[in-house]
Amino acid sequence: MSSNEHSHSNSLFQGIVTFVVLAFLTAVEFFIAITNASLLLLTTVAFIKAGIVVYYYMHIYKLFEDEDEHAHDHNSFAWKLATNRLGLWLFIVSDAFLFGGLLVARFNLLGLTRPHLDQVLGLGVTAALLLSSFFMNRAETLMAQGDRKGFVTSAAITLLLGLGFFLGVVFVEWPNAAHEGLTASGSAAGAVFYMMTGMHAFHVLTGLIFLGIIIRNALRGHYSAEQHWAVEAATVYWHFVDVVWIFFYPALYLIGRLGG
Amino acid sequence: MKNSSSRGFITSLLFLVGGLVAGLLLGVILHALTTGKFSANYFTDVPSWMLGFLVGALAFFYGLLGYNGVVRGLVWQVVGTLSGAAFVTLVRWILDTVGGGEYTLFDLRNYGLSEPAWVFGGLVGALSFMAGVGAVGDWFKWAKGDETHDHHPEEPTWRTYFGVSLDHKVIGIQYTMTSLLMLSVGGLFALIFRTELALRLKPDGPSMDIISLNLYNSLMSLHGMVMIVSILLGIAGVINYLVPLLIGAKDMAFPRMNAFSYWVTIPAAVLLLGSLGFGGFDTGWTGYPPLATRAPLGMQMFYLGVWVAGWSSILGALNLITTVLRMRAKGMTAFKMPIFVWASLATSLISLTATQMIGLAFQLSMFQRLFGMPFFDVAKGGNPILFQHLFWFYSHPVVYVFVLPGLGVISELLPVFVRKPLFGYKWVAMSSIGIALVGFLVWAHHMFTSGMNEYLRVPFMYATLLVAVPTGVKFFSWVATLWQGKITREMPTPFLFLLGGIVVFLLGGLTGPPNATVATDLHLHDTYFIVGHFHDTMFGGYIFPFFAALYYWFPKATGKRLNETLGKWHFWLMTPSFLILTLGMMRIGLLGMRRRIADFDPTLGFDAWHVILTISAFGIALAVLIFFFNIYKTLKSSEKATGNIWDSRSPEWQVPSPMPAYNYEKEFEVVGEPYDYGLPGSTYVKM
Repeated sequence: MSSNEHSHSNSLFQGIVTFVVLAFLTAVEFFIAITNASLLLLTTVAFIKAGIVVYYYMHIYKLFEDEDEHAHDHNSFAWKLATNRLGLWLFIVSDAFLFGGLLVARFNLLGLTRPHLDQVLGLGVTAALLLSSFFMNRAETLMAQGDRKGFVTSAAITLLLGLGFFLGVVFVEWPNAAHEGLTASGSAAGAVFYMMTGMHAFHVLTGLIFLGIIIRNALRGHYSAEQHWAVEAATVYWHFVDVVWIFFYPALYLIGRLGG
Repeated sequence: MKNSSSRGFITSLLFLVGGLVAGLLLGVILHALTTGKFSANYFTDVPSWMLGFLVGALAFFYGLLGYNGVVRGLVWQVVGTLSGAAFVTLVRWILDTVGGGEYTLFDLRNYGLSEPAWVFGGLVGALSFMAGVGAVGDWFKWAKGDETHDHHPEEPTWRTYFGVSLDHKVIGIQYTMTSLLMLSVGGLFALIFRTELALRLKPDGPSMDIISLNLYNSLMSLHGMVMIVSILLGIAGVINYLVPLLIGAKDMAFPRMNAFSYWVTIPAAVLLLGSLGFGGFDTGWTGYPPLATRAPLGMQMFYLGVWVAGWSSILGALNLITTVLRMRAKGMTAFKMPIFVWASLATSLISLTATQMIGLAFQLSMFQRLFGMPFFDVAKGGNPILFQHLFWFYSHPVVYVFVLPGLGVISELLPVFVRKPLFGYKWVAMSSIGIALVGFLVWAHHMFTSGMNEYLRVPFMYATLLVAVPTGVKFFSWVATLWQGKITREMPTPFLFLLGGIVVFLLGGLTGPPNATVATDLHLHDTYFIVGHFHDTMFGGYIFPFFAALYYWFPKATGKRLNETLGKWHFWLMTPSFLILTLGMMRIGLLGMRRRIADFDPTLGFDAWHVILTISAFGIALAVLIFFFNIYKTLKSSEKATGNIWDSRSPEWQVPSPMPAYNYEKEFEVVGEPYDYGLPGSTYVKM
C-alpha cells in the first residue's frame, strides 16, 4: 500500500517537474526568437518540448507495456484497454499528418517570414494551453488514484483554461489580427494564419466537448481507479492538441522575420 | 419469404420508375419557375435528371425496405442538406440585414441558394445520413454514460445488408456490392464519353455529338474519382471479409467504427455524383486550382464528397492495423501471417496517413472558394504548386493502396492453384511494406512539367525507379512459384484472372519507367500513353485480382460456386478487349493524342483508333455484365458448394461454407508455414 501511494505522489510530482521544464523551454524559445529567431534552434526546442509531452504527459510507453496473462481474453478489460490505446494512437498519427500538411503549407507559402501578430497575446494563450496540460495530467493522475473529486476539480480547471485559449484565439486574436490588416482573404499569410489557428481551435473545441463529457460522467459516478479509459483517451487527445500548438506557436509567432 | 421479397422487388422497380419521373418533373418545374418560361429542352437538364435519379433511388429502396436503414439515412441526408443550407442562408440574411445591406435570399438562377449554403448543407446532410441510418447511436450512448450491448452475430437475411450491421462479414459484402455498383456507374460514364470520342457526325470543325463540353468534362472527371472510390470500397470489402477470417479473429477490433467507415461512403457517393446536378466541374479528377476556383458549384460537391469518403479510408485503415496487430490467432507470428494480411497492413499504413493530405488539399481549395482565402492565388502570395504537392502526396501512394491488396491476392492464391509453396515468402511479405514506404517518396514525378523547382526532378525520378525493385521481387516470386507448378488442364476461373492480372500488371509496370524518367515524361505527360499505363496498373493490380478474389471466395460467402462457363466467357471477353483498349491508348498517346480533351483534330488520324477503343470499352462492359448475370444465376441455382472446393490450407476453408456467423467455433492455432502446398505431412492450422 505504501509503495503504491509513493508511486502516485511520484507521478503528481513528475507532472509538476514536467510542467516547469516545459515552461522553461517556452521561455527559452521566446528568448531565441527575440535574439536571432533561428529556424534550427526553434525547431529543435519544439521537438524537445513535444517529446517531453509525448512521453511524460501522453505516456506513449504504455503502448509497449507487457500485458498480463489475460491478454488473450478478448472480453477482458485489459485487452480492450490495450486495443483502444493502439486505436487512439493510430488516430493521432493520422491527425498529425493533417497538421504536418498545414505546416508544409505555411513554410511553402510564407518561407522564413511571419505575419505581424500580438506577441503578448500569443504567449498568453500558449501559457494557458500549457497550464491546461498540467492540470489535465493532474486530473488523470488523481483519477488513477481513485480521487474522483480531485479529478473533477482539475479537469474543470483544464476546461476553463482550454476555453480561455479558444476564446483568446478566436475572439481576441482573430479580430486583433484582422484589425491590423491581416485578413483571411487579403493575403496568403492571412489565409495560412486563420487556417492553422482555425483548424487547431476546432480540435480544441472537440477536446473541450470531450472534457465536458468525462466531467459530467465522473460527477454521475462513472470511472474508477482501475477503469477510466475515457479519461485516459480525453487526456491523451488533449495533450496531443497541446503538442500541435507546440509546433504551431513558433511557426506562426517566432520563426522568421516579419513579413510585409 | 422468397415470394414476398421478389414481389417486393418488382414493386420497387415500379417505385424506381415513378420516383425517376417525379424527380425529373420536379426538376423541370423548378427550372421553369426560375426562368419564368417553359421549354421542352428542360427535359434534358442534367440537374433535373440527377434529381430524378435521387428520388428514384429513394423510392426504390423505400419499396424494398420501407422506412428503414439506408432509406432513413438518405431521407435524413436530403432533409439535413436542405436544413443546413437554409440555416446558412438565414444567418447570412440576418447578418446582412443588421449590417444594412440587402441580401438576396434566393438566387433562383444559381440552384436557389448560395455556394456556402450548399456546401454547409452538404456537410450537414452527410452527418445527418450517419445519424439517420443509425451508425453513430452507440457512441452517443457512451457519451451519455450508458452501456451498450456487444453485438451477437446472427445469420444475415437480405434485409441485413441494407441496414447497419456490426458483423465484419456483412460489412465486407456491403462494401463489395457498393463497390460493384460504383464500378458500374464509373464504367457507364466512361462508355458515354468514349462514345462521344468515337463519333464524328459533323465531318469538319468541333464535333460534340451526344453530350455537351461541360458534361463531357464532368463525366470524364467523375469517371476517375468514382472509380477510385469504387476501388477503395472494393479493397475494403475484401479486406473486411477476409482478414478476420485469415487471422482467426471474431470480428474487427472496432466493429462500430467499421460500420461507420462503410456507411459514411454512401453520403460521400451521393455528394460525389450529386456534383453532376450542381453544374458538374471540368478539372479532371485532380481538382487542380486555379481552374477549380472558377469551376461550377459541382466542384465543391466533388471536393466535399472526396473529403467525406476520406474518413472511411482513415478509420478503416486504423481498424485494420489494430485488428492485425492485436487479434491474431495463437502461433501466428509476423512471418506466419498470410501474404494478403501483410498486403492489407501495408495498404492501411498509407491510407491512415496520406489520406489526410488530399483532405487538406481539397479543404484549402474549398476554403479559397468559400472565404476567398488565397492559398493558391499567385497574385496574393499563394502558390498553385502547393496544391499539387499536397494532392500527390496522397494520390501517388494511394495507387499502391489500390494495387497492394490485389498483388496480395495473387501471391495468396497462386500456390493454391499450382500446388507448390510460395517462392520467397519473407521477401514477398516485406516487398509490400517496401512498396508502401518507397511510395511516400515519389509523389513529385506527377509534377515534372508543373513548374516546380527543377532540382526536385532527378531525386524523384530515381526514387520512382526504386519502386521497381520491391515490385520486381513480387514478379520474381510469382514466376518462380508458377515454375514447374502442377497446373490442371481446366484452369479454374480465379486462376485465369490471376494469370491475367500478372500479365496486365507487367504491362503496366513496364510502361511505368518511361513516365518516371524526366526526359521521356516531358513528352508523354498528359497524353493517352499515361492513360493506357495507369489503366494497365489498375486492371492488373486491382480489377483482375479483385475478380479472382470474387470467384474464389464467393463460395465461402454464399455456399454456392459461380458458374465456370460464364466465368470463362467473362475472362476471355474482358482480357483481349482490355489489352486492345490500353495498347491502343498508348499508341495514339505516343503519336500525340492529349488526354482529357473532349474533341481532337481529325487530321491527326485517330478517328479509326477511337472507334476501336470504344468498341473494346463496350467489350469490357459486356464482360462485366456477364459477371453480374453469373452472380444472379448462381444465387438462384440450388447447387451447393459447402466444402473446401479449392483444396486450400487456409483456415477459412477448413470450416463449412457459407461462413458461420461466429466465424470459428473454437480458436485455431497456427502450427506451420502458410504456403507449404505439396509438402507431405505439413499443416498450417490446427482447428
